[in-house]
Order: sequence, then C-alpha cells, then structure tokens
Amino acid sequence: MIRQSVLISNKLGLHARAAAKLVRLASRFSSEIHLSREDANQQIDSKSILGVLMLAASKGTRLVISIEGQDELEAVEAICGLFENKFGEES
Amino acid sequence: MASKPEIVLNGSGVSAGVVLGQALKLDSHNRLVLKIRVDDIEAEADRYHRAVEAAKEQMQNLKSRLEEMVGSEHSIILDAHLLILEDRTLNAEILAIIRKSHANAEWAVMQATDRLVHAYQSLDDEYFRERHSDIEQVAERILLNLSGDHPLSWEHLPDDLIIASIDFNPSNFATMDLQKVRGLVLESGGRTSHTAIISRGLRLPAVMGIRDLLASVSTGDALLLDGDEGQVIVNPTKQRIESMRQRMEAFGSTAESTVAPSSWKTTTKDGTAVSLRANTEVPSELGTAKACGAEGIGLFRSEFLYFSHPNGFPGMEEQFAAYRTLAKGMNPHPVAVRTLDAGSEKVWDKTDLAGRENPSMGLRGIRLSLQSKDVFCTQIEAILRASCEGRIEIVLPMISSIEEIWQAKALIAQVREKILKKPGLNLKPVPLGAMIEVPAAVLSLEALAREVDFLCVGTNDLIQYTLAVDRGNPDVAYLFQPLHPAVLQCLHRIAEIAGKLDKPVRICGEISSNPFFAVLLLGMGFTQLSMNPLSIPQIRRVLREVPLKACRQIAGQVLTSSTAYEVHKYLTETVSKLIGWDLGSYANEIAPPPK
Repeated sequence: MIRQSVLISNKLGLHARAAAKLVRLASRFSSEIHLSREDANQQIDSKSILGVLMLAASKGTRLVISIEGQDELEAVEAICGLFENKFGEES
Repeated sequence: MASKPEIVLNGSGVSAGVVLGQALKLDSHNRLVLKIRVDDIEAEADRYHRAVEAAKEQMQNLKSRLEEMVGSEHSIILDAHLLILEDRTLNAEILAIIRKSHANAEWAVMQATDRLVHAYQSLDDEYFRERHSDIEQVAERILLNLSGDHPLSWEHLPDDLIIASIDFNPSNFATMDLQKVRGLVLESGGRTSHTAIISRGLRLPAVMGIRDLLASVSTGDALLLDGDEGQVIVNPTKQRIESMRQRMEAFGSTAESTVAPSSWKTTTKDGTAVSLRANTEVPSELGTAKACGAEGIGLFRSEFLYFSHPNGFPGMEEQFAAYRTLAKGMNPHPVAVRTLDAGSEKVWDKTDLAGRENPSMGLRGIRLSLQSKDVFCTQIEAILRASCEGRIEIVLPMISSIEEIWQAKALIAQVREKILKKPGLNLKPVPLGAMIEVPAAVLSLEALAREVDFLCVGTNDLIQYTLAVDRGNPDVAYLFQPLHPAVLQCLHRIAEIAGKLDKPVRICGEISSNPFFAVLLLGMGFTQLSMNPLSIPQIRRVLREVPLKACRQIAGQVLTSSTAYEVHKYLTETVSKLIGWDLGSYANEIAPPPK
C-alpha cells in the first residue's frame, strides 16, 4: 500500500480532459487506485470518471493517492508523473 | 400503512373537468419509466450490457466522424461520455439494482443516474456542477438503446392514469393509450400551449404551470384533478373526494368522448359524416395525425424531403421509404402526396427562383416539375411504388391549365410503364388530384375536374392570388382576408362544380382548422377538411355541435354579404350561439383589419 500526496497545478484542474487521461492511465494497472481530497474523507475509484469528476478538484487542490496491488510501484510513478507534467496540457 | 398527507397544488386550469385517478410520472424527456418486476435478472443484465455496447459503438462512430471534421481536440466531450459508459462504479450500481430489486434495466439506469445527477448538481464549482448534463446525455443514450428492443407496453397499466410531468410534447399524445389517460398535470405550460389546445380538443382535463409538482407527486399517488379551478389534490381525503363527487359525475356523464379519438367518427349534429384529415410535412408527424384521429393524410407537403436533403435531390429509394412509411402507417386511410411545390416563399437554391422578382407567379409547382422532368419522374416513381403499401394519392400543385394535367398524366403513365417492365413489381391504381389554388383553375374548373380523380383546394394560395396580396409583404399583408366576398365566391363555385360532377373535393388550407370557417365550409358543401393534425380534435368537437342544416343557412346568408366585416360579424355570432362555448381567439384569427 502506497500513499502519496499530489498538488493539482494545471490551470483547468481535474476537468473532463485531464480526468479522462487519469482514468485511462489508472485503468492500465491491476492495482486498486483511490483518490481523495486532502480536505475531505471521501475516497473515489480513480478508474471511474464519474468518481474523479466528483472530486471537483480545481487548481491548487491537494489530493491523496492510495495504491494497493502488485504493480503499485509502477502505478504510483506513472500517476504522479501525469500530475507533475500537468496532464500534458501546458508545456 | 398510514395514509399519506393530502397536498393541494395550484396551477392554471387549461382544460375543464374534474377527475380522480392515479399519478403516472414521466421523466424529463417525457419518457415513461416504470419499475417492472423481471423474473430473469440475468437476461435483464444481459439486455443492459447489450444496450451499453450498442451505445459505445454509436459514440465511437460519432467520435470518429467528429474527429474527421474538426480534429481530435474537440472530441474530448465524447471521450468523457465514452468513459462514463464504461464507468465501472456506475455499471456495478446499475447491475446491483437490477439484481437486488428484480428491476427492469430502464428503471435501474434512471435510479442510478438520477442519484449521480443530484450529487453533481450540489457541487459548488460551476464547471463540475455542469457535468450532470453529461450523465443525463449518456443515460439518455442507454435508454434509447434499451427501448429499441423492448418498447414499454401500456397493456398492463391501469386505466385511470393522470400523467404528471415537467412538460409534455404534443406528439406524446400519439404514443399513449388515451383510453387509459384521464388527465394531465404539468409543471410548465399554459392555456395557449399546443398541449393545452389538444387537451381541450380531447376533453382531457388538464392543469398546467404547477410549481413543485414532481417533487410532491410519486407514481401511483391518488390525484384529484380539478381542471375548472386549476387545482390538483395529491392523496385527497375521503371527505375531499365526497365534496367533489357531484362535479366529477357531472363531468363523467359528458365525457364519453375522452376515449381514443381514433375510434371517433366525425359527424355533424344531424349525422352527416365529415372526413377530417391531416396536413403534414414530415413522416414523423404520422403518429400525431393518428393520435388526433385523422382519417388520412389530406396533404403531405413533400418539399421537406427535398429541403432537408444534403444536395436537395433525395433519390428514388429515399423518397420511396418515406412514402411507404406514410402509406403503411395510415392504412386503411389514404395519404395524398403533393408533388414538389418549390418556389414562391420557399427558396430552393437549386433553381433561380429566388432571383426572380415575382417568385409566386414564377416557375413553381407543376411548372417547375414539367421543366425538370427527371426530378418529377423520380418522385412519381417513388410514389407509385409505395402504392402497394396502402392507399396513396398524387396531388399536382399550382395547376392553372388543362395542358399541365395532360403533360403530368403522360409522364406518370411513362413512369408506370417503366416500373411494370421490371419483373416482380406490382402497382395499384393511384388516384390523381389537382390543387385548386389559382383563380384560373377556379374559373376553368369544370374542364380541369373532368381530368382528375379529386380536387384539393389550397386556400392560402387561392386567397393570395384572388386578392393579389402577397402575405409576406408587410405593406399589404392586412389585405389578406379569408372572409373577403371574392374568396367566398371562389369556394362556393368550387363546391358547386365538384358537387355537380360528383368529384371528391378537399379543403387543404390551414383555414379549415378555424372552427368558424370550418362551419362555413361545411355549409358550402365541403365534407373533407384537411388541417394541422393538432386542430382535428377541436374541429371534431365543434362539428358535432352543429346541424348541417344550420351550416347551410349560415353559408347562404354569408354569400349574400358584400363586405368581410359583415361576414365576420354574422358568422362569429351565429356559430358561437350554436356551439355554446367560447371560441374567442378563433374569431380574431379570421377578422378583417380594423376599419
């Protein structure tokens, strides 16, 4: 089980396009990958777009990622990478 | 179970009558989503999976098309929709509802997505809050695919339903079993809405504009609907029902006509049969026409098939499909297809009509058809081939001389011969009619009528050409007067000659949907009226109240008048007295301009 905090730093936040990228990426791993807002308890399934959008995470929101499963190391690296490079939206 | 508390809701009574029934809620898309117990839950789960797969394929196709057109940057919203379709949390929830409560897939989809929609609607951030519409669109698509293989049947519903909805599209009357519907209550709408007009025509008590209706009513709740006072009582107490009983019974005893309109025959008070038919422009109006009890399509304006086509020329097969739908759907009643009447106010960019100074006197109707013979023959072939599917008729527009009928008949005969050469094709006789809408046709009617099987009167054009008034020109539009004595003399002449030659004749202008004018037409001798299908129930009710003898007297009197004012005053006063209910706004519709 890995827990990692990430900051949303792209301008539009976790809007539809970014959320779609995140869901598609997360779905590639067999691990269970959950997300929650740092300021709230509710955990959502990062492989569900309706869950991810429900976070209503705008720029500056801190999220906690919890990953558990065989490929959790690869998963955490890939997902943090996606947040860090701002979903490839701003170069 | 403790009885639910009584709630009184107020709105505006748009159609009179008091009825007691049970609520049937429709969703925001006017869809009836009912919970139905399913025994084979795995088959139901399968049905859900198939609908989702079909929806995915459609979305994928849409997405590729959009990407070809505008590039992948813009297909993001469809991408999100695809992901919603695949959403495992949502899918799991829907399947759980199906399995746990033995529910039909439609119900499960609505339950699950409604919950999500509410959750999204409560978000603070506007962008994320708006995503609820994406969920609704996806749910809509799944439901659409579900309905394809399993249309909801009215068979098992009770017969004392009161429809409760946000709004109600008039075409929905066509999809309902009206024998089971006692009333209509809506959050939106008002007296002048189409739905209100039809409700009155159908004598279906209705209250509209009720705030918070859907929040206060559940399917199955007892409703006491008071269309006179504009009130709806949810879960009425016994005392309340007793206090209204007398009014309910009074309405019930006069309400025998609220049953399925399609089974009504239209007759005057003294039993003369009148045939009311529908004017339509698109095949999808068929359902409305049938629901309103139309005894056929009196005029199908085929222009729409052309105007809506990407290159303006629908092929034979495409037209054939449309005419076949109409003929089949209306059978055993007839469908009259008016051949392409491009021109005049309808700008068709395939011709130069728009560039000419006086298009309504230019190359239009049959004149254009006889110059573009290929286009005409393609249409004729499609109509003739549809003749085996029901009763179809051809009507030629803008006839002004007998030669035009001869030429058209020669072309029709050629096309018929060509079709019959192909093995395996069978054709039925197709009656031919002429539109009488030019004064020249009225004046030479005897000769023209002998050449055709029936006549259709296009009142709008007839008024325009008789009075030399372009309705589209604001400087003279006030001179467009349906009750002008010259117009009435034309109509009188048409009725007389048709009667003498025993030719069926039909009024196909919207003017026949005016109750006063309809009475006048009946009095002149017209017993076939074709109009906007929505007006049929109202006209049927009006005609049932008037004896033919009285109509004739009215017509006789009107034909001696020398001004439209005189005609209007006499006609509206006399007819109002005969029918005994208020037809207020219809009198204004045919009023001459103020002096």
